[in-house]
Amino acid sequence: MANSSDTLFSKALRLSTLLAVAIAIVGSLLGYLFYQLPGVFAALLGAGVSALFGTMTILSIWFGGKFSLNGFYATVLGGWLFKFLLFAGVLLALQNAEGFAGPVFFFAVVATVLGGLAIDSWLVLKGRVPTVGN
Amino acid sequence: MDAVNIAELSGNIAVVGYGLAAIGPGIGVGLVVSKTIESIARQPELAGRLQVTMWLGIAFTEALALIGLATPFIFV
Repeated sequence: MANSSDTLFSKALRLSTLLAVAIAIVGSLLGYLFYQLPGVFAALLGAGVSALFGTMTILSIWFGGKFSLNGFYATVLGGWLFKFLLFAGVLLALQNAEGFAGPVFFFAVVATVLGGLAIDSWLVLKGRVPTVGN
Repeated sequence: MDAVNIAELSGNIAVVGYGLAAIGPGIGVGLVVSKTIESIARQPELAGRLQVTMWLGIAFTEALALIGLATPFIFV
């Protein structure tokens, strides 16, 4: 039987993915209006990359919670470090890419990150996680 | 007489921005994690709830880092 934090995390994953899809669609339309095809690529990449990193945090805490306390922190903090190295690598690759609309990418990242935060906060405030156990 | 350079810098100033974008969230996540460990040590029965709340703290600090790392795309 799924416990309450499993329900919380699976709901967060579902909603974050839906949000990223919505931002990818709206961002592609706006990107096309302002930058044509490079804007569409940038919006899709921005929404995709930041959704990937948001879901990695949720997954690391979800699966880390199944280990001992040391395993939990190793998973969460190791995952965080790995994620940021990966993100810096992606940015390095994109920085000098031709036919890429940087501002559209930036605003897609900001929208996805802020939207993800709103979803996380709402779920934690509304979620019922019992005081004892999971 | 020629001017003598005693300190010369070369390279991209945006690198300093990357560094600054990493320092703040790094300290933030360290604080969130250390306080969670401290709280779990005091009240182990609250571990599940504290770990869920810690997720929110980490999500907020990493948002700053992600936005900070992506700023070179608009501040060029």
